[in-house]
Amino acid sequence: MANLEYPKVRRAGRWFDVRRRKLGMWAYALNRITGIGLVVYLYLHLAVLSLLLRGPRSWDSFVSLARAPYFLALDVILLAGILIHGLNGLRVTLTGFDVGVKAQKALFGALMLVAVVALGVAALMIFGG
Amino acid sequence: MENPFAQEPRASSSWLWQVITGVGLVLLLGLHFIANHFIAKGGLRDFADVVAYLRSPIILVLEVLFLVVVATHAMLGMRALLLDFGLSERAERRLSQALTAVGVLTVGYGLWLTWVIIH
Repeated sequence: MANLEYPKVRRAGRWFDVRRRKLGMWAYALNRITGIGLVVYLYLHLAVLSLLLRGPRSWDSFVSLARAPYFLALDVILLAGILIHGLNGLRVTLTGFDVGVKAQKALFGALMLVAVVALGVAALMIFGG
Repeated sequence: MENPFAQEPRASSSWLWQVITGVGLVLLLGLHFIANHFIAKGGLRDFADVVAYLRSPIILVLEVLFLVVVATHAMLGMRALLLDFGLSERAERRLSQALTAVGVLTVGYGLWLTWVIIH
């Protein structure tokens, strides 16, 4: 990493700044931010599953903790990331194959609406037991 | 008129694999969620239930497939992100090798973990 020049680093992070940018850049940034979050979650998930190596007591006490409301709220955040990344990813796939290119904005809006509705239903299921 | 979505990456073999694993993930994640959170009472399994769950051959295949596909998708995604740094050809090759190694280690650890749990 030592041979990287500062402007390159700045350029690489430019996608993160969506101020005064169009909807397409917001969609692009959203996909990357949720993607990074999900990669972090993948390793957290593996770390949590490693508790199984310590036997029933460790795992079962974690399960009790995971049923606490604040932990369930983290589940909702995770689901939000999955829904946004997954549905936005489907849009990128479709448009990548020249399907619905002219309707990208509407497609993005519709899919994000689906994400919000699905998240609402999922949150009700999670907190409703 | 300027296309507001013009910043999106162009198709490449990595992009195609990202798409294939992404579509696979939509299906596998759906099954993973249903199997893990909607069938088990309270959405989570206790230790004995987890062991019994993983001992089912169908579940085992599903979970291993899910691990391989999710690790591949994650590493391809990280590669796309890091390529924005404008790396040299040599650095790009090393990055691909390093991410392949991380992906293989991730899958390897997951497989080992599963093996230890079910035995």
